[in-house]
Amino acid sequence: MLELQGLDKSFGAVHVTRNVSMKLERGERRVILGPNGAGKTTLFNQIVGELTPDKGTIHLAGQDVTGLSMAGRARQGLSRSYQKNTLFDGLTVEENLGLAAAVHTGHATRLWSDSLAKPEVREIVAEVANQVNLMPYLHAKVSEVSYGVRRQLEVGVALATRPMVLLMDEPTSGVGPEMSKGFHDLLNNLPRDLTILIIEHDMDLAFDVADTITVLNYGEVVFDGLPEAARGSKLLKEIYLGSWQDA
Amino acid sequence: MFRHNTLRYGALVLLAAGALAHAFTAGYFGLEILTEILILAILVLALDMVAGFGGMVSLCHGALMGVGAYAFALLSTKAGISVPLSMVAAVAITGAGAWVIGTVCARSHGIYFIMATLAFGQMAYSYVFEAPIFGGDDGLGGISRPDLSLVGIDLDDSRSFALFCLAALALVYGAAVITLRSGLGRSLSGVMHNAQRMRALGLTVWRVKADVFGVSGMIAGLAGVLAAQHSMYISPGLLNWTVSGEALVVVILGGLGTLVGPLVGAAAFVVLKHEVSALTSYWHLVVGGILIAVVLSRANGIFGWVEARWGAKLDRRLADTTRGTEAQEVTGDA
Amino acid sequence: MDLGFWTLQALNALQLSMLLFLLSIGLTVIFGLMHFVNLAHGSLYALGAYFGASLAAAGGYWTGFFLAPVAVMAVGLVLYTLLIRRMRKSGPMAQVLVTFGLIFALLDLTRIVWGDLGLPMNAPDILSGRVAFLGIEYPAYRLFVVALGLGVFAALAYVLSRTQIGAMIRAGVDNDAMAACLGINVERLFFIVFCVGCALAGLAGTVAAPLLSVTPDMGLHILIPTLIVIVIGGLGSLKGAIAGSLIYGFVQTFGAVLAPQLASMLIYGLLAAVLVIKPAGLFPAKG
Repeated sequence: MLELQGLDKSFGAVHVTRNVSMKLERGERRVILGPNGAGKTTLFNQIVGELTPDKGTIHLAGQDVTGLSMAGRARQGLSRSYQKNTLFDGLTVEENLGLAAAVHTGHATRLWSDSLAKPEVREIVAEVANQVNLMPYLHAKVSEVSYGVRRQLEVGVALATRPMVLLMDEPTSGVGPEMSKGFHDLLNNLPRDLTILIIEHDMDLAFDVADTITVLNYGEVVFDGLPEAARGSKLLKEIYLGSWQDA
Repeated sequence: MFRHNTLRYGALVLLAAGALAHAFTAGYFGLEILTEILILAILVLALDMVAGFGGMVSLCHGALMGVGAYAFALLSTKAGISVPLSMVAAVAITGAGAWVIGTVCARSHGIYFIMATLAFGQMAYSYVFEAPIFGGDDGLGGISRPDLSLVGIDLDDSRSFALFCLAALALVYGAAVITLRSGLGRSLSGVMHNAQRMRALGLTVWRVKADVFGVSGMIAGLAGVLAAQHSMYISPGLLNWTVSGEALVVVILGGLGTLVGPLVGAAAFVVLKHEVSALTSYWHLVVGGILIAVVLSRANGIFGWVEARWGAKLDRRLADTTRGTEAQEVTGDA
Repeated sequence: MDLGFWTLQALNALQLSMLLFLLSIGLTVIFGLMHFVNLAHGSLYALGAYFGASLAAAGGYWTGFFLAPVAVMAVGLVLYTLLIRRMRKSGPMAQVLVTFGLIFALLDLTRIVWGDLGLPMNAPDILSGRVAFLGIEYPAYRLFVVALGLGVFAALAYVLSRTQIGAMIRAGVDNDAMAACLGINVERLFFIVFCVGCALAGLAGTVAAPLLSVTPDMGLHILIPTLIVIVIGGLGSLKGAIAGSLIYGFVQTFGAVLAPQLASMLIYGLLAAVLVIKPAGLFPAKG
């Protein structure tokens, strides 16, 4: 579904992404872990289209999207949520979801009718609101709801474009442990054929929701496999905690 | 995205009533001033659409109005095309020009966007000033108003023309509301909030900006057509950037992003100009002072200030009274 | 079109460039350093011309030449304290609007003090003749303007690259927050730069007065060329100001003689192109 081949990126002398390759099957949930500075966000931005890799290719459902703009990739079925809430603050929850849904259905550029009144748009809005538990808040303004609800909306907006692949950047950032559990439930609520790639810091959450785990360190992939294998890995312990145990 | 509220409806009703009352009671000069207000109102409506609802502050809208005026004048007086057709063509030409400007400037922001529109406006100004077909500094005359004798209306009569312009303003207001409430209008609002996010959702952002700028240009073009018909003579000064600057002042004075505010601003501005000019020739000092005062006050112009102070209360009061009546109906027979 | 013709046009272009340079250097450093868009800069230029003309009428050209910039600097000081300091943190639109309001206000204030008619100002006697230069006879005063512009450029280049204060200014333009952390009194630096910028605008006005007519709207006429210069040249840098001035001066002068109908459109087209492709200009101070 999503295939990265030999991605490489440097900023001047700093080599941030080193020959990263990855393959995600349809419906797979993969978490990318790695200490600070490992290059997770840069990799993320290359997949999403905010940065252009120096080398390598990105394929989405078999199509080469490496040269495609961010908007182009979104139209091909790629969607992303932000670590920092990037919502439309003056609008209601419903309107936020509606904006995204309208882009997907094509009503976002029509001059003669209100996109939010269209049945196709309303259908998506209702479906996504159910998936991310936003039904009680539909008519509330974003500025009026709690941080946790805003985090849910952040995911909701990304889902409202009915993507094939969803990229989530630290989705539980700033959220307490009960909310994290809620996130686990939320992910289980999502359509099973949706491919999800998550950048996370929270190891427990990662092991909880992931089908597969990729670990980055200094820009390169140092581990790629099942969560159980990662759990006992001495390499991982070293990367995260440093090797200051007795030899 | 644009919504009406009680205050906005009220203001619209008051403005319309005032305009109609004035149209039927005023003498020649009063009607001239009314027409001036109505044409300016159409222009600033166009500007508020892009500046207040799209975050695209334009200093070329005066030039767009001028393009509409000159296109109409040339088509109807020199190309021999009928007046109604020339009007439509002029509006379309201006809209197309605005669309191109919107496209070219779509990726510029803030002060750079303002200056880019200024550059394009001045380009149009210098072209019109220098190309002989436009008559240069002498301008173009002999412009005529539409012939509505079939419906018994003589637009050469000041009152009829003023009402004609009022009808045009109503039409344009409706068009602006429809545009801002459409899918395109909602997307514009999203773009203004966070263009990057809209891109990440798959929206072609430049196209949205250009399309709205195009619609706004059409409206500005209509203002130009009416201005040409009003004075039956036009000169290049219509396209100078100071005209665009004054339009911006009016929008700020009335209330950016309220759609109704600029209408209030237009009325206030023209009336003030005539009153002050009668007393002193230092009208620019007054405009400058007012502009500085409005910006420093951090209020959103006259209407914006009124809305901020009383708008919410008025809505709540109205909601309470209706709720009260319902409650009474329910418990009435107790 | 012989060598004499080209020399004449080149000198005219150079003179226009130098005049614009005097105006634009102040504006560009103010924009680059303070991120403040001062549309009223042209009005200060007009004030310089008026002060210059009045002072010259009382005490001769050189009185105007030396005192007018000081007078304009004083006006700038007042504007800074009353208005501009408050607007520094505001967004670009608020700054555009306030300085736009200032243009209108200063326009009429000029008319109130000096009336509506143009003021005459003559070049000083020692510069009122012509000089034989590269095969033609060129007005001495215009050569003086060129020399003055180049002199100011040289002086500023020295100050910016060789002195402590120059280094501080460049640091402030590059990153004002960081410069403040390093202990540089950025606020005071802004104030000094602003005052010098105003003085230079006043100087430009005084120097231009014998060449152009001193009218209330001269500030409006020069504003757009100045904006074009700093946008094309690049914001915040000396190199940008001189480059932009030269480009404008030469395109405008040669355009006017070679393709008069296209000249204005050409320069605005160039501006639009730069704004869209390289918004920070050709030689910006940063980025």
